[in-house]
Amino acid sequence: MSRHSNGSEPVIEYLDVFKAFDTPVLSGVNLSVQKGEMFAIFGPSGTGKSVLLKTTMALIIPDRGDVRVAGDSVYFGGRRSLEKIRDNIGYVFQYAALFDSLTVFENVKMGISENILRDMSRIDVERQAWESLELVNLEPGQVLGKLPAELSGGMKKRVGIARAIAGRPEILLWDEPTTGLDPVNTAAIERLIRRLSHELDTTSLLVTHDVEGGLDMCDRVAMLEGGKIRFSGTPEAFNMSDDPVVRAFADRAAAIAALDVLEVR
Amino acid sequence: MAPRIYDALTRVVANLGNNSRVLAEHAGELGIMVWNIGVACVRLRVPSREIFRQIFVVGIQSVPIVVVAAGLIGVVTSQQGGYQMQSNLPLYVMGSVVVESVILEMGPVLTAIVIVGRVGARITAELGTMKVSEQIDALYSVGRDPIEILAAPRVLALMISMPVLVAVADVVGILTGMFSAQFTLGLGPETFFYGARLFWHSYDLFYSLLKAFVFGVAIPIIAIHMGLRTSGGAEGVGRTTTQSVVFMTLTILIIDAMFPPLFLQ
Repeated sequence: MSRHSNGSEPVIEYLDVFKAFDTPVLSGVNLSVQKGEMFAIFGPSGTGKSVLLKTTMALIIPDRGDVRVAGDSVYFGGRRSLEKIRDNIGYVFQYAALFDSLTVFENVKMGISENILRDMSRIDVERQAWESLELVNLEPGQVLGKLPAELSGGMKKRVGIARAIAGRPEILLWDEPTTGLDPVNTAAIERLIRRLSHELDTTSLLVTHDVEGGLDMCDRVAMLEGGKIRFSGTPEAFNMSDDPVVRAFADRAAAIAALDVLEVR
Repeated sequence: MAPRIYDALTRVVANLGNNSRVLAEHAGELGIMVWNIGVACVRLRVPSREIFRQIFVVGIQSVPIVVVAAGLIGVVTSQQGGYQMQSNLPLYVMGSVVVESVILEMGPVLTAIVIVGRVGARITAELGTMKVSEQIDALYSVGRDPIEILAAPRVLALMISMPVLVAVADVVGILTGMFSAQFTLGLGPETFFYGARLFWHSYDLFYSLLKAFVFGVAIPIIAIHMGLRTSGGAEGVGRTTTQSVVFMTLTILIIDAMFPPLFLQ
């Protein structure tokens, strides 16, 4: 049972998802994430973790299969259903993907659905953007008017998170949230992910190469290998797994994490 | 020997098949994009502020370079025409040669080539960079449609701006042609315009502006299509921008070649 799940209601379901570019990337992925849990997907580079995450809101369209979010089909539910699904999900991109020509305020404001924006006053919008930036430990007064080019890498990442949570979604998808950050910033972002998931009461699905962090934060984890789910279970079961592929991946990840710590010292 | 021929044939057929697939992909994606832009315009989903901003960027800011290019076209047409007919035809024919060359051909085509370099390349590079840095995905993720926000305003802006730019180019080209004829051939403005009126049809102006309008549709559509297909980081943006400029230039020349049989018969 997850640490803060509200039951065993699946909120994201991947049903036999296939996707190939030049070669097959996903070869029949079946996975479900329960309401309120934090779930991490690990896997070596190029195994399709980010591709799988992007199929959740039709940023990449699978060749076969379906994804269901809160019971609604992403691919067979029509335009309105997809709009509703997208309004309900916040997506944190690997490199923040902030809009270059917009200020931090305008970027964060973009995270609020157009339907909701229409009914909000300018003051309410500003308040929501302000609160979102405070939630990610940024000083809104100092950054609201800045352009992304004026921010550091860590700050961009936080603004990306603020944009994802601005619409107060029920689901947060995190694509390699700690990529490109030093171990100190990595730890800070991991604390932030944990805190936001609790405070905003969201379901969080992460894809990450940071196995240590993922095992520490999440209620359940899965490992993607060869286009399929190789392992799915609790962090404890992952650590105890006698599957040689899982073991080899976990040991290699632990060794890399240890090297990172030594580098910082 | 036979297996080698077989291999070579297989490669030829495979290349042919692959190129046909890519061509069909381009055609299909272009068709869908044009349809979606049309739907966005009909549903009034295109932000008017963005259309005006794009008119300023692609239209008004292009005036200086268009004026310079058109001025030089007028001078060159006048001088080369004068050189060729100095001893064979009455000089007042120069007026007709310059006016008809500039209005029917040089004005629209060279303005379009200038706009391909200045605006088309910019659109492809801008959208390509947004694509590879996941900003396009980010727009979808926050429930915004890049076709409505990015593509439609650019197409509308160039559809409106291009005929105006060509009209400016026509006027400037004729005036510089007239002054050039006066300085180099001693042909006065009255004689110049007497020659111009002799062969003038009002339809020619319509033909020039219609050509400009078609170029104004073709350039942004190809530029946007190529930009949104970009992949492969900075190198991919460079490669796609080059391809886009080549496609746009070829398309301009093909449309130009199709115009006389379609509209001047």
